[in-house]
Amino acid sequence: MTQEELDLAHLLINALNLEGKDPATIDPVAPLFGDYGTGWGLDSIDALEIALAIQQRYGIELRADDELSRNAFSSLQELARFVAQPRAQQAS
Amino acid sequence: MPSLSTAFAENGAATLPLLTLGAAAGEPLFWRGGQSVTRGRFAAGVLQLAEQLPDKAYAINLCDDRLAFCTALAAAALRGIVTLLPPSSGAAGLAALRLAYPDSIVLSDTPGSEYCVPQTAPETEILVLPEILADRAIAIVFTSGSTGQSQPHLKTWRALYQAGALIGQRLLAEFGRTQIVATVPLQHMYGLETTALLPLAAGHATFCGRPVFPDDVRAALASVPAPRILVTAPVHIRALLNAGTRLPPLAGIVSATAPLPPELAAQAEQAYATEVREIYGCTEAGSIASRRTVAGPRWRLLDAMHLDHEGGQTRVIGAHLPAPVPLHDLLEVDGDGFHLLGRASDLLKVGGRRASLADLTRTLLSIPGVIDGIVFQPESNDGNDILQRPAALVVAPDLSESAIMTALAQLIDPVFLPRPLRKLDALPRNAVGKLPRAVLERLLAET
Repeated sequence: MTQEELDLAHLLINALNLEGKDPATIDPVAPLFGDYGTGWGLDSIDALEIALAIQQRYGIELRADDELSRNAFSSLQELARFVAQPRAQQAS
Repeated sequence: MPSLSTAFAENGAATLPLLTLGAAAGEPLFWRGGQSVTRGRFAAGVLQLAEQLPDKAYAINLCDDRLAFCTALAAAALRGIVTLLPPSSGAAGLAALRLAYPDSIVLSDTPGSEYCVPQTAPETEILVLPEILADRAIAIVFTSGSTGQSQPHLKTWRALYQAGALIGQRLLAEFGRTQIVATVPLQHMYGLETTALLPLAAGHATFCGRPVFPDDVRAALASVPAPRILVTAPVHIRALLNAGTRLPPLAGIVSATAPLPPELAAQAEQAYATEVREIYGCTEAGSIASRRTVAGPRWRLLDAMHLDHEGGQTRVIGAHLPAPVPLHDLLEVDGDGFHLLGRASDLLKVGGRRASLADLTRTLLSIPGVIDGIVFQPESNDGNDILQRPAALVVAPDLSESAIMTALAQLIDPVFLPRPLRKLDALPRNAVGKLPRAVLERLLAET
């Protein structure tokens, strides 16, 4: 796992009250949503919490109607890539 | 717009309109990408779909898009097909529903599904739709039993139609025709009443999508004309305020699914220069009462609703409801309103879904390897109790926490998965085998 992914894992664990989860054992490509067995098993309420945590930490707005944002939610790795991406000034 | 004041005069009627058209046919009913779909075009789409639907007793409506959903709901109603609204879109829940209702078809707006409902309406308008028998069940909604057995609740067109009329009368009458943008799903009574029935029965229009993230909510509101109403839930209001999102001028904010803390309501009223009003309701009865949160804790019953007591339980009675509905909350009647005294202590509500803590504990104990355990609701997670997810303490020497969670995830709706779930060597049961609440809270904080 990269340092960025680890930072993000800590952010998610704190924001979502998942203290039982050990960041060291997380598979960065595991799906964030849906099946608990293979992934994080997060739900739509978590999606909102993640979006808020990311906005507050990185100043980036996630949007469900934006392909890049949607893709970012597929795994920790994709989320880290999305956050690290240089971006143009956010339209408002 | 359809006359709101006469809505209740129709209460004894044998049939009720599916949608009032006539002179209103050219008025917008749905909004998407800044474009409107008129009532007349929607009606044409309903007729078209009604002609195409196969002969089935039930239709499971999974549509997320509000135009597609309402088209499917109305077309099914015209054909006498009962719409099923599953409490969760999870594969397991859907499979169970199909087993219980074998003569059913799944209607969805996702391409590749069993029957795909278009997210568009024909270009032509029609001016008349047949009326619907008022006392026929047109939909079944479910209360999510935490152990998987959902309880079905039949909804007549009268109950649904009048719910839309009543909420419109109470919350929106002063604004004329409004544009509703909602962050809540349709397969839940609150979302159904506010975004399908306010449009169909009370003349309002709704945004087709379901924005959840703060900036999506802003963009959706900006894409519709005033007067704008935001229909949402406490978690979403908190997110908007925390994100510092600026919204276009609002005529009102409506909140339900969980109690809205008055401080949060006051902040929202100030930030968005509008009134925040809450709806109190339940799956069985739909919306029951409303209040402006900052004005005080008293709830005022919707017109035509009243309360009585029987056998120590409060029941709500509505002229449009087939039978009195027992309420799960403890409340004190006060004239045409009431004060909530608390929730039955076993009841848990997360994301608008209900479960029994005793059921969840039983499910936890049913997992092989779990020796003892309890699911409970901590007093407060870091100062806010909006979300109200349960926590669990478990004794299971041979299982890891993640193995227990994996097993639990197969058995219960994911919103009820405990956060956190902690393993202990033993639970601190007192002399009579009880687990004092204060001790549970302390253990959760310590481990």
